[in-house]
Amino acid sequence: MGVRVLVVDDALFMRSMLKDIFIKAGHTIVGEAANGDEAIAKYQELKPDLVTMDIVMPQKSGIEALKEIKAFDTDAKIVMCSALGQDALVVEAVQSGAKDFIVKPFKEDRVLDVVRRVFGV
Amino acid sequence: MDMSQYHDLFLTETEEHLRHMSQLTVALEQNPSDRDGIDALFREAHSIKGMAASMGFDATAGLAHHLEDLMVGFRNTGNVPPEAIDLLLAGVDLLEGLLADISNGTAERDVSAFIAGLVEPTTVLPVSAEKQQAKGATSAPLVEALQDVQVVIDLTSEALAPSARALLILEVLRMSGQVESCKPTLAEMQQGFPVRQLSVWLKSGGSEEEISKSLIGMADIKQVSFQSDRRKSALRDEDSRTVRVRTALFDQFINLTGELITNRYMLQSAAKAGDWKDVNEGLDLLTRLVGDLHHHVLQVRMTPLESITANLPRLVRDHCQKSGKKVRLEISGEGLELDRTILEALSDPLVHMVRNAVDHGIEQEGTIAIKAWREKDMAMIEIADDGQGIDPEIIRNKIVERGLLNEAQAKELSGRKVLQWICQPGFSTRDSVSETSGRGVGMDVVKFALEGLGGMLEIDSEVGVGTRFLMKAPLIVAIINILIVECAGEEVGLPVSRVLRTLDIETNDIQFSGGEPLLLVDDEHIPLYSFNRLLHLPEQNDKISIVHLIICESQGRKIGLMVDRLSRQREAFIKSLPSSLNQLPGVSGATIKGDGRVMFIIDPHALFSDETNALEPETEK
Repeated sequence: MGVRVLVVDDALFMRSMLKDIFIKAGHTIVGEAANGDEAIAKYQELKPDLVTMDIVMPQKSGIEALKEIKAFDTDAKIVMCSALGQDALVVEAVQSGAKDFIVKPFKEDRVLDVVRRVFGV
Repeated sequence: MDMSQYHDLFLTETEEHLRHMSQLTVALEQNPSDRDGIDALFREAHSIKGMAASMGFDATAGLAHHLEDLMVGFRNTGNVPPEAIDLLLAGVDLLEGLLADISNGTAERDVSAFIAGLVEPTTVLPVSAEKQQAKGATSAPLVEALQDVQVVIDLTSEALAPSARALLILEVLRMSGQVESCKPTLAEMQQGFPVRQLSVWLKSGGSEEEISKSLIGMADIKQVSFQSDRRKSALRDEDSRTVRVRTALFDQFINLTGELITNRYMLQSAAKAGDWKDVNEGLDLLTRLVGDLHHHVLQVRMTPLESITANLPRLVRDHCQKSGKKVRLEISGEGLELDRTILEALSDPLVHMVRNAVDHGIEQEGTIAIKAWREKDMAMIEIADDGQGIDPEIIRNKIVERGLLNEAQAKELSGRKVLQWICQPGFSTRDSVSETSGRGVGMDVVKFALEGLGGMLEIDSEVGVGTRFLMKAPLIVAIINILIVECAGEEVGLPVSRVLRTLDIETNDIQFSGGEPLLLVDDEHIPLYSFNRLLHLPEQNDKISIVHLIICESQGRKIGLMVDRLSRQREAFIKSLPSSLNQLPGVSGATIKGDGRVMFIIDPHALFSDETNALEPETEK
């Protein structure tokens, strides 16, 4: 299969975990970002197939980054990563065009299910 | 000017106009040059436009206006081309959707894309998907045969951020069709409402299977299920329960009220003067006036059958398009008026039986004839098709397969009895419910609904000839004529509509066959039953020479009920019983006697309708 993924989260720990999940399943990590601004810049540079975007981040939040990316690429496939109890933010993200969401702590199969659904496999 | 007071009226009137438009369009398909039909359709669209514009519903007014323009074009050419029929029907569907938006209080949906397709009717008339592929045409708006689908999605209990999940599901469903409404509402979901179940009403060209498939892989879903058509009709709308009353009827009310007032003064002075003769005369007059008033009040609740049959031509047409069959629908007797509550209860069963006839009854081509007429105080509604008929052997096999009866018992069932078995719950001789038939209303629900009203369902079928369903329902719900009989000192009522005749016979007239008492009446042998015994009441032990008999109909045959005494006939307000008492076989209701005591109403038909409680042969002691 091999989806090209951009992993965005301000915590190194989370990024590492996600990267491992994707690599183990045969996908490629094309880049990482630790805040909204970096995410937008990396998206434009790398043009990934999929972005996993943390919601709460310093400088620019995941939701703002989502909106800005969707503005210049309406087909962008962005999956939000939220912590427990951030329902209102997830709703906002979905309304702003997020393709799906996963709640931390992640379960490996959940993450991969989302990828499969988003890419219609 | 405050238009909100006209809101309900707007909804009811527009709904009716849309029903007519639907009927007219389907009729025009058969008669494309019918000038009257084209004119009528023009007027309906024009009316809707006017009302919507006054109310400020611009999208609705705009669409109606364009449909009206379309009709003007056809008035000039004198002919409605077949492609326009699909277009018009799609327009009607959209108007219904807009009406639903208005009724829900949400913003009118965007119909500009559809209108764009209407503006150039001669060059950009939408063609069906296949025709388009054949012609290799460029993008013209597609018009598919759309169905109303209600999707119900249950979320798992562990689902996190359920409102966001519901929004995602809604997004996916939007790709399968047009979302008409949802529960919880969009606003509620956006506010983070803790969704556990999401219901979405869609107008979709896709099958239930396709819709289910689109949700595969979506997290947090426990179950996806579907419910059949739930078209809102003025009859079922709880919020705006209004009735239309003919002005002539209204005048009668005014007159009667006047006469009652006069009558009251008359009674008052007669009582004051102690003049009993005048009081009695006054009471006689009062009885007549109250009877008249009652009769007229009931008329208000009477609605023509047409209100539930109006959508049937369109339904049949859509089903034909989907299945490629050619089915003609003939309806007669639509003017028959019934009580509104009864009509409401008959609406779904009628739709179900028509669907069945199209899907299972008719193979390729055929006719479905719906006839309605009145017999005594019952409405008769017949749905007959000239299709393949129901094969009793297939049913017998299914019965044995399900272990409900053994082979010998199944063989013994008469043709008529076998057919009644299709009304057993969950009984379908198709292994998979056909896509267009949908689920939700089975024959068991139909039969149950009818019997609950005090009616019944007769089924007749011949392989290769056709099938006939006859629904018998009371015309009026609350009041029926009952015959009062006495059994072991208890007064019991029987609906007069169930009584064919009463008869006094001598015990010597009773014949016996295999231990069962019979009576020969008009060349027919009728089995006799002791009503006391059936009601588990003690029987008269004295030797009697005269037997009082009530001949009634039960399960399509005549039976005779032996009672102790025939009392009298009267009108009775039937009250339905609480569910615990409703389980008693044969008890269809109760009424309050003059002395305040309760009298049960027994329906002889229902006494024997339970298959496991089959007619027991009576043996003479």
